[in-house]
Amino acid sequence: MSSTGTQLATQSSAQVKTKLCAVLVEDNRLDAELILHELRRDGFDVSAQVVQDEAGFTKALLTHRPEVVLADYNLPNWKGMETLDVLRREGLDIPMILVSGALGDVTAVECIKRGATDYVLKDGLARLPEAIRHALREKHERSLRHQVEENLARKVDELARSNADLEQFAYVASHDLQEPLRMVTAYTQLLAERYRGKLDENADKFIGYASEGAQRMQVLIQDLLAFSRVGRNGSVRVSVDCNVVMKDVLLALAPAIRESDAVVTHPQLPSVWADRTQVTQVFQNLIGNALKFRGKEPPKVSVQAEGAGDRWLFSVSDNGIGIAPEYRETIFVVFQRLHARNEYPGNGIGLAICKKIVERHGGKIWVESQAGSGSTFKFTLPDRSAADEETENRKDAEKVMVKA
Amino acid sequence: MKAAPDVLIVDDNPADVSLVCEALSGSKHRSRINSVGDGVEAMALLNRRDKYVNAIRPDLVILDLNLPKKDGLAVLAAIKAGPDLRRIPVVIFSTSQLRQDIVRSYELGANCYVAKPGNLNDFFFAVKSIEEFWFGFVNLPPRGK
Repeated sequence: MSSTGTQLATQSSAQVKTKLCAVLVEDNRLDAELILHELRRDGFDVSAQVVQDEAGFTKALLTHRPEVVLADYNLPNWKGMETLDVLRREGLDIPMILVSGALGDVTAVECIKRGATDYVLKDGLARLPEAIRHALREKHERSLRHQVEENLARKVDELARSNADLEQFAYVASHDLQEPLRMVTAYTQLLAERYRGKLDENADKFIGYASEGAQRMQVLIQDLLAFSRVGRNGSVRVSVDCNVVMKDVLLALAPAIRESDAVVTHPQLPSVWADRTQVTQVFQNLIGNALKFRGKEPPKVSVQAEGAGDRWLFSVSDNGIGIAPEYRETIFVVFQRLHARNEYPGNGIGLAICKKIVERHGGKIWVESQAGSGSTFKFTLPDRSAADEETENRKDAEKVMVKA
Repeated sequence: MKAAPDVLIVDDNPADVSLVCEALSGSKHRSRINSVGDGVEAMALLNRRDKYVNAIRPDLVILDLNLPKKDGLAVLAAIKAGPDLRRIPVVIFSTSQLRQDIVRSYELGANCYVAKPGNLNDFFFAVKSIEEFWFGFVNLPPRGK
């Protein structure tokens, strides 16, 4: 018998039939006919190729592109289970159903374990159509799931890349902008110093505006650099004692605290698992804001912490001017300011940096406030115990890698 | 009276060269300032090649990093690799505040790294301080041949 097998096909009759392309690995011509008969009787419009050895099977896979493989267990020149090796080698995800005489439970289970999709007895061919439908459904779901997973992975990848590009862009742009800007600043200042009062009144004013604008842009670029740096530098997470952080922050803000006659209080604070510099920056920005956006009374700032599962919920409350509810989100956007520059100085970068830092630590930041009645900024940071979890995760990842 | 020191500025931005001259004009050290606009020129002058056969070896090099043809780090490396040149102090004077630029400069033997300040008065102060430090405070090696 030729190893390429025999083409056995029927055209669809009047009734609606499911098209099915199959490869039968079967040495018994009569059994093959019986199997096809059973499928047609159940409404399949079968196009089948019958083969009985590895060469024939491999060729049929390429020429026939089957949706399902139906293989006998025992063949004179081959073993039905070896079809799985061929499918694997060719990288094909095609369900293989064993159609065989009695194998015994142990062998049957073994076959399923090795990758056969199902096992149908030749004595019970009536079950075959349903077995095929089930196998095809499963494969369809499998490929859908695979597609969704692939799409998701691609999206995540794209997003990460575009984020990285953006960081890089912001950094390069702000860095390269500095040089020409420095020239503008320096020379308008030189103009102002050397020619003040020597030109007319307007000239002095114009030079002043130009000089002021250039200096402000310089600060903006510095801020943008600082903002993009939060994402660029790989941060080192360690156990950070927030009491020590507060000590540093109060020292850094000492002049502002003295000037505004402010009182900053905090109880014993916990330790968090975080980047020390970045956490310090968050506290400093929030407390600095509380001092800056003060009302008539001297500022009273209170820092609190409470446990929230594996994280800590911090709050920084003040008795300042507060924030109207409609601005609760926008205040965290880069360069968003609610007040005129001469009312309250600043560029609107502080809270954006806080948000970026907190989110990089897997936390959230928000504000609870009413205009005129103070603000409470809240944010979460991982507890020190996250360190153990991180180590565990790393161990798990290593295990997986070893397995792979 | 001490001989006036020679300073070589390597900077492709004439505006900055002019600011440095401006900052040092009328100083008590009376530094003589020479400037070139790219790294290849800088090396030609330091090695007294071509039109620089009679050039004077500077007592101090003020070197920008972002230069055409041969960048500042390459010039720095070449100076510090030259047996006659390596004794000349090199001040890196660049807009860059990138950590890697700073680290790399010191690794290659820069004598100090000063970021160009954005504010005019700070810029002047930085340049005057460099001059005062190297010519008023430090013991320099005798000038090379």
